[in-house]
Amino acid sequence: MKERIDPNLYNDLEKFGIDVGNWNECYHCGNCTATCPLTEKGSLFPRKEIRFLQLGLKNELATSAEPWLCYYCGDCSKKCPRDANPGELMMSLRRYLTSIYDWTGLAKRIYTSKIFEIATILVISLIVMVLYLNFTFFPSGEGAWTGNDGGVLINKIAPWKRIHFGDWLMAGTLAFFLITNIFNMWLNIIVKDKSVKVPFIAYFTEVFSVVINFFTQKRFNKCDNDNKPYWVIHLFLMLSYVMLFTMIVFFLQWFQTDSVHPVWHPQRLLGYISTIGLFVGIIYFINNRIKKAKENSKYSHYTDWTFLVMLFLTTLTGILLHFFRINGMAQATYITYLIHLMCLVPMLTIEVPFSKWSHLAYRPFAIYFANVKKSALKKQVKL
Amino acid sequence: MSYKPTIVAFLCNWCSYTGADLAGTSRIKYAPNIRVIRIMCSGRVDPTFVLKSLREGADGVLICGCHPGDCHYHEGNYKCLRRYHLLQKYIQQMGIPKDRLRLEWISASEGKQFAQLVDEFTESVAKLGKSEIRQVMETLT
Amino acid sequence: MEEKRIGVYICWCGTNISLMVDVETVAKEMAKLPNVVISKDYKYVCSDPGQDIIIKDIKEHNLNRIVVASCSPRMHELTFRKTLVKAGLNPYYFEMANIREQDSWVHTDRVEATKKAKALIAAAINRVSFHEALDSRSVEINPATFIIGGGISGLSAALEIADSGKKVFLIERSGRMGGHVADFDLTFPYMYSAQQMITPLIQRVKSHQNIELFLNSEIKEIFGYIGNFESTIHSKDGKETAVKFGNVIIATGLKTFDPSNIENYGYGKLPDVITSFEFEKMLLNGIIKTKDGKEPKNIAIIHCVGSRNKNYHEYCSRTCCMTALKYANQIRCELPKANIFDIYADMRSFGKGCEEFYTLSSRRNIKFLMFDQENDLPKIVSANSGDNCDMLIEINEKLTGKTIEVPADMVILMVGMEARENAKEIAHAVGISMCGNSFYIERHPKLDPVATTTNGVYIAGGCQAPKEIPDSVAQAKAAAARILATIAKGSVEVEVTTACVNEDFCCGCQTCIKVCPYTAISFDAEKKVSVVNEVLCKGCGTCGSGCPTGAIKCKHFTDMQILSQIEGIMKISHLELQEA
Repeated sequence: MKERIDPNLYNDLEKFGIDVGNWNECYHCGNCTATCPLTEKGSLFPRKEIRFLQLGLKNELATSAEPWLCYYCGDCSKKCPRDANPGELMMSLRRYLTSIYDWTGLAKRIYTSKIFEIATILVISLIVMVLYLNFTFFPSGEGAWTGNDGGVLINKIAPWKRIHFGDWLMAGTLAFFLITNIFNMWLNIIVKDKSVKVPFIAYFTEVFSVVINFFTQKRFNKCDNDNKPYWVIHLFLMLSYVMLFTMIVFFLQWFQTDSVHPVWHPQRLLGYISTIGLFVGIIYFINNRIKKAKENSKYSHYTDWTFLVMLFLTTLTGILLHFFRINGMAQATYITYLIHLMCLVPMLTIEVPFSKWSHLAYRPFAIYFANVKKSALKKQVKL
Repeated sequence: MSYKPTIVAFLCNWCSYTGADLAGTSRIKYAPNIRVIRIMCSGRVDPTFVLKSLREGADGVLICGCHPGDCHYHEGNYKCLRRYHLLQKYIQQMGIPKDRLRLEWISASEGKQFAQLVDEFTESVAKLGKSEIRQVMETLT
Repeated sequence: MEEKRIGVYICWCGTNISLMVDVETVAKEMAKLPNVVISKDYKYVCSDPGQDIIIKDIKEHNLNRIVVASCSPRMHELTFRKTLVKAGLNPYYFEMANIREQDSWVHTDRVEATKKAKALIAAAINRVSFHEALDSRSVEINPATFIIGGGISGLSAALEIADSGKKVFLIERSGRMGGHVADFDLTFPYMYSAQQMITPLIQRVKSHQNIELFLNSEIKEIFGYIGNFESTIHSKDGKETAVKFGNVIIATGLKTFDPSNIENYGYGKLPDVITSFEFEKMLLNGIIKTKDGKEPKNIAIIHCVGSRNKNYHEYCSRTCCMTALKYANQIRCELPKANIFDIYADMRSFGKGCEEFYTLSSRRNIKFLMFDQENDLPKIVSANSGDNCDMLIEINEKLTGKTIEVPADMVILMVGMEARENAKEIAHAVGISMCGNSFYIERHPKLDPVATTTNGVYIAGGCQAPKEIPDSVAQAKAAAARILATIAKGSVEVEVTTACVNEDFCCGCQTCIKVCPYTAISFDAEKKVSVVNEVLCKGCGTCGSGCPTGAIKCKHFTDMQILSQIEGIMKISHLELQEA
């Protein structure tokens, strides 16, 4: 089948990247693909993606899952004789694909305009502030705000049911956008690819791979031996985040209690472990990006920074919130809770369906779709 | 074991002899039955040389020159070609199979082709068997 | 008749020969042959001690014929001839048996290889008995040089020779000098202006006192031999000038391939498919426009048009890849917003500054698309009204394996280079050979790429093969240097292995005159015999094999020498047969 090329694709995609080299310089020696520990027959990258980009084959790029299968060890960029920076192309492609999957067009605007991103964060923060001020109680003068064990009666300030309602509202919105975007991704990767016909059963046989990859990120581990600490820290960060997210969104009644439990109590223990996971991870990644220590932290897009900074602020305010609460500092608790939410909510709303954090869902799903395709292809060959 | 023929070959200095040397420097192996005589041009191959070789008992005679158009002396190879056709007819009349004489073009870069040619010609001459001319001539004289 | 005293020397060549040939046994057996006084084997006969042994033996044993069995005569014949001269013998009292290139290196059976060595050496021993003393001959060099072609090669060579004070006749078929370079705008990779390079050269040639210039002129034939050529220059206005000269440089250049018969490209049918030379003219005029006078938005450049394809020319035309990049860069400067597609088979960016030029170009948003030059050429078709472009190019893109369509408003075909249509006439006129593709053959592709197999005739520039400007200039100046060297020496040694006529045997049939390719034989009407002009004779021997009476003797390749060689070969194989 003939495909008309799009001469503007390169310029379009450049907006999602950082000015770090020139993908047109690639002369297709194939060193990048040869050195990549993850590429395999059936899903070849990154050379193939560079070629699609150079030619302007927009459809080929939009329907490929390969960018998500790359974990950016950076070996390809190191080995490139032309300094064409294939690793950074895969990174830019992930941003580009996020915008392709997103039907609202917000992802594209967030990725291509700094001002738009900051403005969105501010707007959501303000909405959160307004809602918070209206639906919570400021611990002023009268009434006992502290319990017998010295901790702040937090449910009196911000009743968990109200917060929980807000959580559900946010989670529902996020889930809606994320799921519709994943549906789009499915359309692109599987339905539009006419070379494979996926039998329905394949979706069931391969479902296990999504779960496994989500919780172990074992592909990431395969990426590079040098990246071992990187993989551990990233996994720890991810699991901590999932843990906290689950406790906040699904078990807030248990997580946000008035009484201060002993340190060994699962509520506090899990909270501490997750917080350490988050904090260590964030510090590690911020440090990497500042020092440009690794190939994958050499180049930082502004969305990388907003993500890290927002996560850092959220974690920091979370820690402070806990400290003020167990020490009975009611007013400080009230204000910190507000700031905490003003960081957390915009971060999640922007990052999860429209920006960097969407990889949490796209990566395992891309692996899932790739595996589904692979098993379908195997069956086709057998027939 | 099949018969081991003796082949006399006339190679022109500029193309074919250089081609045969190239087969050597490239270490391409071929049948050891060939005995090469160097001449300046395939045009120098006097019919007498061919007849003399056959009379002395050669089982085959091979002539190699430059490809048409490439002759160092412009057209010596064409002269050779004409004499070759006449000679083939002539030896047939004497009762010698015409396949005992062969003319091929080998350029200076065709070492591999030269080796193949020698193998091929040796095989075909071996099939014709031993040439009886020397014996006949000796009994006659 | 003097007694033949032959010395035979069999070389081990280290282990090169001795591994496959039993040299010691061969040496012993050869000693038994008639007239052989001494037969020895030695590690390296060509080494100084090896040659000293021969010289010593010649003096001690009064040898007068020498046979060395070692490598190819093409390798060391001259070495050993000099050895003989040192020992006071005529160099032609020497014969070589090739038991390395044509024996030990090509066989695997030691017994058979040894037999073959014996036969070849016996043949050489037989032959050398009939060798005659020949004396070398030298001729004077006429210091004038004849240069055919007024392109950049011809101009460079002419100035080089003329500047050193020697006369040059420069002839050019057309009415102007400069050749293709005069049609160029800028040159890759440094973007120098071709006009600024060529104009001063032309000016200097025109006003040089040592250069006699013949525009609109041709020659029919060159007679003579190194040092003493002559010819007549025919001018288009009917004037004829006779000239004499000692050396010739052929710098006739090449021409461009006509792409009309490549159907896929539609050249001649689609108005905006143009050749690189037509585009060069656009650049020279400073305007890039389609035939309708519009500014093209999408420009495609297709490489290897007529090159590297079995149906057209199999060779690479060498200059087109970099010229294509030059165009891409020039278009990028003229039309910053245009889409530029470089449709190539392989990007060949050898040469100084060229790979860097490619790297630089790849940063300027030029799209590089690869196609299969041998089997699958792109196809250019007119676009439909809705396509927003004039033409569409369908390519099976090699690096992705996808069939893609590229929009184009202008397509530049990078046409290859081919030999001039009259290359053959020139070759015949001068007496040099051509390759299968009508380019002239150099004497040695690596070690002598400037000379031809005809002494005194040199080639420079595109007539030998497509090449870029610096290569042409280098070759032209090398040819000039070679000629100046022979002029400086004043004389040159010529062929002594010529033919001669024994007038007693000549029947006057004149067969030899018909077969001689050099018109070196004439008929003496008074004596009614043929006479060989030994100056013109190149020693091919065709007359010798045509002579019905044996009156013609081809020196060093006499009938007796070759017949005895045959006897030698057959004697050995006959003996072996009897033994068996």
